[in-house]
Amino acid sequence: MASNTRHDGRQDHEFRTLNISYDGLARVDGSARFGFGDTSALASISGPIEVRLVAEQASQATFEVLLRPLSNVPATEAKALGATIRSALAPSLILTKNPRTLVQLVVQSLSSKGDGTQREALTAAMINASTLALLNAGSVPMRGVVCAIPVGRCTAGDRETRLFVDPGETEISEIQGGGCFAFVFGDKLGWGDGDVECVWTNWKSTSGTFDENELSRARELALKAARAVYAEIKRGVKTMGAVPFKFNEKRVKEDVKKGLEAELKTEEGSNDEKMEIS
Amino acid sequence: MSIVLPGENVPAQHVNLKLGPGLLQSTTSTSSDASRPSIIATRAGTLHHSANGAKWWVESNSRRYVPAAQESVVGVVTHRAGEGYRVDIGTAHPASLDALAFEGASRRNKPNLKVGSLVYARVSLAHKDMEPELECFDAQTRKAEGFGELKGGFVVRCSLKMSRDLLDPSHFLLPLLGGRFPLEVAVGMNGRVWISAKEVKQTIAIARCIGEVDTDGGGMGIEGVKKLLDSLDV
Repeated sequence: MASNTRHDGRQDHEFRTLNISYDGLARVDGSARFGFGDTSALASISGPIEVRLVAEQASQATFEVLLRPLSNVPATEAKALGATIRSALAPSLILTKNPRTLVQLVVQSLSSKGDGTQREALTAAMINASTLALLNAGSVPMRGVVCAIPVGRCTAGDRETRLFVDPGETEISEIQGGGCFAFVFGDKLGWGDGDVECVWTNWKSTSGTFDENELSRARELALKAARAVYAEIKRGVKTMGAVPFKFNEKRVKEDVKKGLEAELKTEEGSNDEKMEIS
Repeated sequence: MSIVLPGENVPAQHVNLKLGPGLLQSTTSTSSDASRPSIIATRAGTLHHSANGAKWWVESNSRRYVPAAQESVVGVVTHRAGEGYRVDIGTAHPASLDALAFEGASRRNKPNLKVGSLVYARVSLAHKDMEPELECFDAQTRKAEGFGELKGGFVVRCSLKMSRDLLDPSHFLLPLLGGRFPLEVAVGMNGRVWISAKEVKQTIAIARCIGEVDTDGGGMGIEGVKKLLDSLDV
């Protein structure tokens, strides 16, 4: 690989195009879709709802994560990943506000994880989709926002290990391990000084070992990218309760007929449902 | 008015500060200055405050109702239990409604609600560790004040933002509908709206309009609603 740019022309700290959309699934309290390029996931939240007696907790809400793979029924792997997502999101939720209830998160994978190489990007997309669904629902109080970022690593001879955010399809053959970092953003988290804290990572190497320095470099790089995702999520909150795209388009057409061109401009401005990073 | 995400600091400062929905006083004060408690947002939405800066809240949309005292709700009776009723108001726990919490109710003369009846009630108790309690009268005056059993009519579900909008007298929808035909409406803050009109056609029109105007559904404006009503011939 060249020194600074990658196969698809991205810088090391740049992720693929973000796809964020709030589709408004029926029969749930909040839902959202998140994707890094083609790697995407759909999450939905129901809660606080009535809880089964066995799962009821007297002092806090039960937070349940159900993960649905792209194909087949959820098995051990899906359950393990579900537990991971649960532990990454739990620090951002205030479950004590609704004791004896259930908060149910259902995450549906929308991409295959290939031969396991896209797994980190998919995990990150699932965590981000879950966060967005929680924000969309608005019924579960939160003390922070969790953003996850996949990072790839590749070693080349004696040189320092090269790290890059969100490995794409073309880079899969070159990466030697890597992982996903989840950060929680919030001003008063109580366990740190800053406004951000790393809550989960699964950094690993498939070629030899890695040192502490590499891990902290990877975390710094992931944090830089996670801040960009956070900024994008914040921008997306404005369009969250907004009109689904298709419906609005029809309305715009009607307005054109009536010659309300001035109104049309404002309509266009407000229906950026899918956002892109330029 | 600005957008906040959960965990963000809110610059709320007032001697008599009141925090509304979506805000929390941070208990773990990491700063040395303990006299200025920090306020964080707990949900994503737009931050609002009263003119003098004493009241702050976060406005956002949601579908799941979490009970709060003094809010009016529309509920369905699900059980009769001795001296009272269980009412489903869309929360995690069923609410309880005492048979004596009605206008003119006494030991001898109690209202007779059946399972499946609709009631318009006020949340008299909402505590996270207890099940919500409802009442169908004003505890001071013991008058119904419009609360009680809802007979006939139809219940429409909408988002919580829509039900708050319907309660806003400056919102266009109900005056617009009322200008076309007579109707009765009971708006519950739990995202349930009871409507009653003379003809089935009119009931359908109201239900359709609420669904379309809802930002969670269509987000239709006043012009669109007028056109829709014309097309429905009411």
